[in-house]
Amino acid sequence: MKRWIVLSLAGVVALGLASQLPGCTASRGGSGAAAAQKVYVKPGEHDTYYAFLSGGHHGNVYVYGMPSCRHITTIPVFTPEPAVGYGVDEESKVMLGGFSWGDAHHPGLSETDGDYDGRWLFINDMPNARIARIDLKDFKTRQIFGPIPNLSAAHACPFPTPNTEYVFAASRFSAPVPNRYVKVEDYAKEFRGIIAGVKVDPKDGTMSMGFEILMPPFNWDLADAGKGPSHGWEFFTCYNSEMGFDSLEVKASQAEMDFVAAVDWRAAQKAVDEGKAKMISGVPVLDPQQVKGIAYLIPVPKSPHGVDVNPSGEYICASGKLQADVSVYSYAKMKAAIDGGKFDGDRMGVPVLKYEDVLEATVPVGLGPLHTQFDDKGNAYTSLFLDSQIAKWKVGPPWQVVDKIDVYYSIGHLMASEGDTRHPTGEYVVALDKLSKDRYLNVGPTHPEAAQLIDLRGPKMELLYDFPTYLEPHYAQMIKAEKLKPITVYPMVENHKPGAIRTAEEARIERKGNRVDVYGLVVRTHFTPDIVRVNEGDDVYFHWTNLEQDDDIAHGFGILWSSCNMQVEPGETKTMRWKAARPGITPFYCSNFCSALHQEMQGYIEVSPRGTPVAAVQRPAPEKTAEVAALLKTE
Amino acid sequence: MHYLTDRFGATERRMIWLAALVLLPVFFFPVLPIWTMKLWAPQYREGLTLTIYTNTIKGDLQNINTLNHYVGMHRITPDDFKEFRYLPQALTFFGLMALIAGLVNRRWVAFLGWLAFSGFAIYMFSDYARWLWSYGHDLDPRAAIKLPEFTPPLIGFSRMANFKVLSMPGPGTVLLGLAWLLGPLAILYEMRAASGRRRPRRAA
Repeated sequence: MKRWIVLSLAGVVALGLASQLPGCTASRGGSGAAAAQKVYVKPGEHDTYYAFLSGGHHGNVYVYGMPSCRHITTIPVFTPEPAVGYGVDEESKVMLGGFSWGDAHHPGLSETDGDYDGRWLFINDMPNARIARIDLKDFKTRQIFGPIPNLSAAHACPFPTPNTEYVFAASRFSAPVPNRYVKVEDYAKEFRGIIAGVKVDPKDGTMSMGFEILMPPFNWDLADAGKGPSHGWEFFTCYNSEMGFDSLEVKASQAEMDFVAAVDWRAAQKAVDEGKAKMISGVPVLDPQQVKGIAYLIPVPKSPHGVDVNPSGEYICASGKLQADVSVYSYAKMKAAIDGGKFDGDRMGVPVLKYEDVLEATVPVGLGPLHTQFDDKGNAYTSLFLDSQIAKWKVGPPWQVVDKIDVYYSIGHLMASEGDTRHPTGEYVVALDKLSKDRYLNVGPTHPEAAQLIDLRGPKMELLYDFPTYLEPHYAQMIKAEKLKPITVYPMVENHKPGAIRTAEEARIERKGNRVDVYGLVVRTHFTPDIVRVNEGDDVYFHWTNLEQDDDIAHGFGILWSSCNMQVEPGETKTMRWKAARPGITPFYCSNFCSALHQEMQGYIEVSPRGTPVAAVQRPAPEKTAEVAALLKTE
Repeated sequence: MHYLTDRFGATERRMIWLAALVLLPVFFFPVLPIWTMKLWAPQYREGLTLTIYTNTIKGDLQNINTLNHYVGMHRITPDDFKEFRYLPQALTFFGLMALIAGLVNRRWVAFLGWLAFSGFAIYMFSDYARWLWSYGHDLDPRAAIKLPEFTPPLIGFSRMANFKVLSMPGPGTVLLGLAWLLGPLAILYEMRAASGRRRPRRAA
């Protein structure tokens, strides 16, 4: 009897404990010292890959070294960066166009023959439908194209074509084209989506408007360029082919099929060149109701997200994020169906192909498949959001998953080394996760994002490293480091800026009305001129030229009691406007530590009361100029 | 038949007191969980918990409901369960019956109480199973993720989408089960004692 009671009590305790078990969870990943060696880069040595991670709603691009996962720098793109004066100096201020925010999602490296050529990095600002070009010679944003007219946000963007002929942008939201007042309830009638092709100048990368195509008002989501046999096509996924305009969570999840749009961009450009486009908001827009042969729709189950073309260009992989499969379409079958005119009706003039006619295979990868990348051995890697895993599968029969690995947690994009080109290197993939939760030291409710570096070289995927990133990488690009040859200083001989000067004798302050131009030099460790006399109410433009040609000797220019600060790199000339609001003395100084006498690198602006006579041209005293000139000679 | 109309033996009566002790406080102190459900997903490796008491459900209800809406499951809200409005009272009532049986010292009262308690337990288990069934079958057809109909486990492990689920009776149910078990135990004990009285054991 007693034994029974004891046993029963033990049972109660055991059950109570069992219900608290964290038991059935997997490990926290990682394999220890062997993995550590694979990410260890000896001090002073360099990584073998550059990784460019989009900064999401931080509006910039993070540069990491791989495999060490070290954050090397952040390139300001759509968001001002006062430390270096991005969005503060006159040139970058104009480029930002009055916006102080962007949501940067998809970096796209320029390509030649479908492989990264290391020239430029394009990235979209989704909400404002802009595309930026970063020059990889100096890692600086050199052009921001847009807001692209008629487009409500550019999510499927930029995804360059194999020779960077085009970058693309497709409207995530739909709106009336041109935008005007209508009732939201008239969505299906009045709203339209837009797919835009933006031309890229092959010499200098300058973007200009190519064409726009009027699409049904679905939510255009992601894109990828065809390559090899499918070169000349760009593919776009969409959701909400139900054309819901409210409660999308429910209404956009009802139809069994949404679509991949296949756009023949050469045919579209030809139609524009032949004058078949209508000008709307100043850009040529093609209407598929009138212009045939430019776009087609391929049905894809269950609200697809990513679309990715395999390295050979034969297959187009789209994942219905609400199902457990990747649908693989054959480009050859698509072409045959189009050439044979086998359509199943159309949506607003865009012919719809038959699912069965184009489908090559469905691969049961797991729950919540989003994006796919590739290696050099014929494998594909698909991120699984719901399962928090990456599934590795064979491209080709029997179309099966061969390996899976856990990631932490809720992976969105993934980035394989050169994994979206014709020749992926197959070395690494980085999981870009949406949640980090408990992975790093707790820094409060605003969690960092999480990323994991995974080795692809063995038969099984191996987790090597886990690192936090600031908000919020979406897509990324990983390129062999040897493909980039950035400069370390701007050669002074190539400085043709109108405000540039080269000698102390040229330093001067010129006045025209109440505009004052200061042409000055910054050199270790002085400003020339370092005394600037202006009148109350003057608009003062400081043009500073950093005459240094030595690595890493940047000078700063910060003015007290203002938002004016910038960094001037060796060989660079930058201009900043400052308003002389009140009479008095305002010091300025070098805000970027430059050398031993950095603290002494300063100057004063003397603002005299309105109307005080000031010379039209001031020059530093001759003995001062001679002093500086002498200094410069000895350097 | 006079077995039922008889009084309790001393040990039997102690067992009745014990049953009353377990059951009586339920209404006044409904502190022990009667069932727990633990759910793990890759991004919830610490697990989400649902703890069912006799009068309410506690735990990560808000989180679980938010997640469930993707697959179109009904919101789990304590107010939906009329059971919570009578379950503690009913259990305390059975405790009261045990107490009365002990006080009036008649087996038939205890026996009636035990029968009613058994019937009630069967009803509650089938009721719980019905709830589970309806949560997994009455899915909103407009849900973003369409799952095949399913029944969450009454007890043990199962997989639901990206979740692993463990369902276990709580200490409350175990105690209730023990209290119920005191019925047959008492009979068993009494039968042994009776046979002992008929054939008194001799010293070996």
